[in-house]
Amino acid sequence: MARRLLLVLAALVLAAAIPVCAIEVPVSAYTLRNGLRVLIHEDHSAPVVSSYVFYRSGSRNETLDQTGIAHLFEHMMFNGGKKFGPGVFDDLIEGNGGSTNGYTTKDLTAYLNNFPREALPLVLDLESDRMANLAITQQNLEQERGIVMEERRLRIDNQVVGAMSESLSLASFVRSPYRWNTVGFMDDLERITLEEARAYFHTYYAPNNAILVLAGDVEPEPTVRLVDRYFGRIPRRPPPAPVDGREPVQDGARRVTVRKAAELPALLMGWHGVGVNDPDRAPLDVVERLLADGDSSRLELDLVREHELATETAADNSWTIDPELFTIYAQAAPGKTLAAIEERIDAVLRALAEKPVPPEELAKAKTRLRADLVRSLKTVSGKANRIGFAEVVFGDHQALTRVEKEWEAVSAEDVRRVVAKYLGPNQKTVVVLDPVKPGGATQ
Amino acid sequence: MRALVALLVGLASVATAGEFRLPSVTRLTLDNGLRVVVAEQREVPLVEMQLLVGAGSAQDPKGDEGVAALTARALTRGAGERSAVELAREIESLGGEISAGAGTDATIIGAEFLAEDFARGLGLVRDVVLAPRFEKDEVRRARDDQASTILATLEQPSAVADKCYAAFLYGAHPYGRPSDGSIGTVKELGRGDVRDYYARWYHPNNAILVLVGAVSADEALAAIRQTLGGWASRPDAVPVRAAAPAPITARKVLLVDKSDATQTQIRFGNISISRSSPDYLVASVGNTILGGGFTSRLIEELRVKRSLTYSAWSMFSARLLGGDFRVGTFTKSPTTLETLQLALSVEDEFRRTPPDAKSLQKAKEYLSGQFPLRLESPEALAAKLAELEFHGLPQDELTTYQSRVRAVSAADVAAVAERDMPSTDRVAIVVVGKASEVKAPLEQAFGAVETVPAAECDSLARGPK
Repeated sequence: MARRLLLVLAALVLAAAIPVCAIEVPVSAYTLRNGLRVLIHEDHSAPVVSSYVFYRSGSRNETLDQTGIAHLFEHMMFNGGKKFGPGVFDDLIEGNGGSTNGYTTKDLTAYLNNFPREALPLVLDLESDRMANLAITQQNLEQERGIVMEERRLRIDNQVVGAMSESLSLASFVRSPYRWNTVGFMDDLERITLEEARAYFHTYYAPNNAILVLAGDVEPEPTVRLVDRYFGRIPRRPPPAPVDGREPVQDGARRVTVRKAAELPALLMGWHGVGVNDPDRAPLDVVERLLADGDSSRLELDLVREHELATETAADNSWTIDPELFTIYAQAAPGKTLAAIEERIDAVLRALAEKPVPPEELAKAKTRLRADLVRSLKTVSGKANRIGFAEVVFGDHQALTRVEKEWEAVSAEDVRRVVAKYLGPNQKTVVVLDPVKPGGATQ
Repeated sequence: MRALVALLVGLASVATAGEFRLPSVTRLTLDNGLRVVVAEQREVPLVEMQLLVGAGSAQDPKGDEGVAALTARALTRGAGERSAVELAREIESLGGEISAGAGTDATIIGAEFLAEDFARGLGLVRDVVLAPRFEKDEVRRARDDQASTILATLEQPSAVADKCYAAFLYGAHPYGRPSDGSIGTVKELGRGDVRDYYARWYHPNNAILVLVGAVSADEALAAIRQTLGGWASRPDAVPVRAAAPAPITARKVLLVDKSDATQTQIRFGNISISRSSPDYLVASVGNTILGGGFTSRLIEELRVKRSLTYSAWSMFSARLLGGDFRVGTFTKSPTTLETLQLALSVEDEFRRTPPDAKSLQKAKEYLSGQFPLRLESPEALAAKLAELEFHGLPQDELTTYQSRVRAVSAADVAAVAERDMPSTDRVAIVVVGKASEVKAPLEQAFGAVETVPAAECDSLARGPK
């Protein structure tokens, strides 16, 4: 099946100007009686398989007094079920040539294993055991609580950009659960109880709230029968309550200062964007690439090359279920001020909102988006991850094909319109890093 | 259970289950001395090129530390007919990438293009490598960028720990110096330094080109011959390398003060094997048991049993002239000493006791099972092929890897652990954290502890003052 992917892709890359064929990752899709979605992609180029179990459980499903519980759960999931006791999961995966990991975002939690194909029944056995019967014990909770607090110190408390990013969301969002960072607040991590953990598990870790993706050296029909043998008897549970991701309109800029030991000032700006299925997502994807993707993008040319105010710039239009922030980051060059940087960022956005972007520049941004999509499909693990992400976040495992058509349809006027609509000077939240020079340092 | 599975899901493939399949690899040397390695891999419509020049920061002239890195940075800022911006626009319009970076022993120019654009991509790589413009203003910009990167790195505790550990352990050896140089040396560098470095080392008889991707080997070789065949060689382009680094003979401790830290980064280790050492494979099996993957001894003792850290690892940083074995972890400030002492004792215990059969078996399965997955992407395979060529490793290294791993015994691991992992009374220990909180306990345990701010680790690599 990898061959088919290749042919379709080869057709698409002929030229950016020609209407483009779709990036296709063929998937056989099934739904078991208990609601578990099973998505299988065949790729026989190596005798390996990648499995991902996605749960529709991210920090957007948390409440303000239980922040971090979705991610804490990701950790607890490796510590034993009923058939397989504590400390067995990792041992068995690695002892059979596999590797295992998990990650949590605002929208989802994913559990992945990459392994030689003979280990497939074992992997299904382990994954179904923890879905049905995770051992939620005080010991499991306490062990992971300490580890996750250490992870928060690593990623937020002792990391300049992590701290800025947390501050940006806190200042931008008023009621959307995207307000807090996925790792959670230290107070909540210290406090979360065993009862809360049990309740969370019973709400979100159900087959009808999960998607199993298998990519690699497998045949769909026999494989889905095997999957049913392991997962088919896990009972369906009542669906979780829907999340309210609405956010009141922001009218007026907001400013926050983060004080941290740092060498260079930096700026992180955010504007309220759109959810992934909004028709304006594709034009905003293009804007992200026009602004900061490569040395010939607009912020690089203006802030780094022409005015030499910044050492690096970045832009991000997140793909999320509910509206997230469109962000721009810039690190100041030594001796340059954040005020000057912000002024230039506003000017670059104003130019995009006023003058249509030239055709070759628009084509370049689209080519970059497409090329990165191809790059994300280099490995079976990359493909499985993309398929599951599309199913959870877009609600459609074939969404990548559609996304590509949406990019192709974006016009210069769409770009102008969305910059004017979303990225205005009165809709932004600005986080400035005010560097505290480390005491005793010789700077 | 396994037999049943083979029936159910194993019908499609004829190769032995789990075995790594290497695409056919063609190797040849052009008349100008350029070594070329081509592997045809058609799973994704991309072509990956890695051109390795066998000189890096080890070849920086004294006082010009950072010039190898600056040369690499300046390569892509204008080449052939194109200015910096024109070149960037051309590469980016193709959805491609060309990047260049210097390590200690070599510089790597990496490029990736859609297979359709192979000829144009190779032409751009040629311009960057054979005809960089090194315009004065562009070299200045590259230099300012390099200086800012050095500063920004000081904000990252983990990067500071790695940098200070290298300087503290290797001292004046080239492996002790960051390839970016220091602020002091970089700000003095100019266009002349870059041109001199380039003219001295960038020649085909000091280079290896690896190409992996959806292009036929014949087509690739013909194009490479045509594009790079005229690159001029220079008899003295291959560097005379430095001697192997020498191990330290007594324990020493360095505390790097980060006054606002709530978490402490820890590293310790000593000089050990090079990449071409016959011990390398067994050492990687031993390292997997001690500090690789999610079920290692270090993870078990520091993370799982005591929740002291989010991560703990060990590794052989095995390089051309030698290398080091190191352990790394981090923990909240109050548990700094406890974590360091525990990590030391886990390493010491591992070194003194042969591994049990179960741990050994698990490590062997893990390494051989992950091997095909680790080489799945074109850039991973290209990097691995370049590594083999650069270190002069046998051509069957990849196809025999899994069987060689499976043949490793407990006695092999015990011998290599004893030989290549350091005794804990001979390690360089680096702790990056809040000195006012962690210095007293460290001094109680280890005696006098040298304390420096992060920006001063550079001076440790300059050797005796």
